[in-house]
Amino acid sequence: MPWQIVHVPGKPPSSPELSTVDVLASVIEPKLANTLVRQLNLICPLENLRHVKRVQKRSVEGKVELSVILCLQNEHESLCAGMPNDVLQLASTYQLSPYKTKVAKYAALSKEEWKEQCKLWPTSYHPSTIPYELTGFAEEESQLIVKYMKFAMRLMRTPNGKVVNAAVIVDPLGGKIIASATTFSFQHGGDSLGNIPEDSKSKLLPCDFSRVSCMYPWRWTEPRSDNGKEKCDGNFSWHPLRHATLVSIENAAARDRQLFPCLEYQNDLPLRNGGVCDCSENNPIKRQKIQFSENVGVIAEDASPESLPSEVLRPYLCTGFDIYILWEPCVMCAMALVHQRIRRIFYAFPNPIAGALGSVYSLQGEKSLNHHYSVFRIQIPEEYY
Amino acid sequence: MSDTASILSFMELALKKAKLALDRLEVPVGCVIVENGMVIASGSNRTSETRNATRHAEMEAIDILMEQWQKAGLDCAQVAQRFSTCDLYVTCEPCIMCAAALSIIGIREVYYGCANDKFGGCGSILPLHEGASLEFSSTSSKARAFKCTGGILSAEAVALLRCFYEQGNPNAPKPHRPVRASQFQLGIGSSVDH
Repeated sequence: MPWQIVHVPGKPPSSPELSTVDVLASVIEPKLANTLVRQLNLICPLENLRHVKRVQKRSVEGKVELSVILCLQNEHESLCAGMPNDVLQLASTYQLSPYKTKVAKYAALSKEEWKEQCKLWPTSYHPSTIPYELTGFAEEESQLIVKYMKFAMRLMRTPNGKVVNAAVIVDPLGGKIIASATTFSFQHGGDSLGNIPEDSKSKLLPCDFSRVSCMYPWRWTEPRSDNGKEKCDGNFSWHPLRHATLVSIENAAARDRQLFPCLEYQNDLPLRNGGVCDCSENNPIKRQKIQFSENVGVIAEDASPESLPSEVLRPYLCTGFDIYILWEPCVMCAMALVHQRIRRIFYAFPNPIAGALGSVYSLQGEKSLNHHYSVFRIQIPEEYY
Repeated sequence: MSDTASILSFMELALKKAKLALDRLEVPVGCVIVENGMVIASGSNRTSETRNATRHAEMEAIDILMEQWQKAGLDCAQVAQRFSTCDLYVTCEPCIMCAAALSIIGIREVYYGCANDKFGGCGSILPLHEGASLEFSSTSSKARAFKCTGGILSAEAVALLRCFYEQGNPNAPKPHRPVRASQFQLGIGSSVDH
């Protein structure tokens, strides 16, 4: 079996919950279709329903029947009470008889959803807005994705042979590893892809998954025989919430603060009088100067010279970055990635116990959230197990 | 169990922490963790300062206790035991991430101010406070539930958030509105303070 990258949709395609809105439509004479559609688009454009087609074409007893949407139907009003005067006039001129019907409220996100929508009333579907799902990845990108996942696989073993979850945050444009982490330790950026040895195969099975904290988030209370041997970084020798994803986000944030220190709020600055420091005004020269004067040491440790961010504007959190995680994250980690504005998530193993990206919850399909990422599962060939 | 007066007074303290966050140009959400009627930790949002969008008030307060208890030499079981006697008072409904975290650490009870209809993990979007409906053989893999009560001093919490959003988020990628010091001052003055 080769490596495979499979899109994980926000909702199982088999059960699309269709939100609808009510509209008024009318059967029309086919020869009037052009005239009516042109006039209706002028006097009553369907502003928030651009994905909905104005005309429905059906075959009724061998005859083609056309219907056209006149306008939105207000919930609490009788059939024609809410019709704009212009539309009302048009309806009487052409002796139309409006009826109420339902159309899909939102543009379809998948082909399956689109097919369901069209059973109500035809809509348009633009797969280009979700390129990965249908067109897949180009060969070159697929190879990079596999390489990063192999890198993550190298991190998942603790020195004493336990398996933990591992996460690697990547800037796909710069081809850079921003941060990586496992549950118990962490590395701080700086690795470039060229440093990943090709022989990074690691035997995965059989092994003990009980340390994969995203899989067993509530199990930390159990006493462990080897407790204390695996150290967390920083102030904690262990921590029930320091899952690999959360630690990798923390590392990415630390890197951001080091590379772009000028936006740091200084404690001794009076914030109320323009405490937001000057270089927030996107002054690349100033920013560059600050970086080189104050952070030469940090940068030299952190990254190879050609990857200095001098030309790059500071990213907002992890905007545009991808994360590679071995196990499907739990709901805490998945939501953390929403907060941190990750662009794409690649995981290798489903997490049937607490997984939030397809297994137990599907956070990527939660419409109310203010940020949405794409989720992919990477199927690792058997010889890597 | 807490009586109404003490619930309100703990929420007042959480609101105070939220106001401190507003002064630091952070999203004004604050919290306190209470054990045996005593505040043992508090926190407020630090997402801008840290550039880590997971540094919500709850996470800040939890980390204070984790650090303190570990320094005191508590082991996993003892830490779990302590958390199970703690209540959290937070000015805004915990988000999905924080609600999951509170279930993981096994908090006893949560009181919050305003609901969070975009991210709320205590009923608004996901009901994580109810624990998992999944069936597992091992009780230790089971999502823990906690009792959750909302709507405490929610008007005050909302007023603070409104101050923040009206002044504009200085850390948003492309601010829609410029940050204006005068407006900001006004915002502070007009916020509910009682």
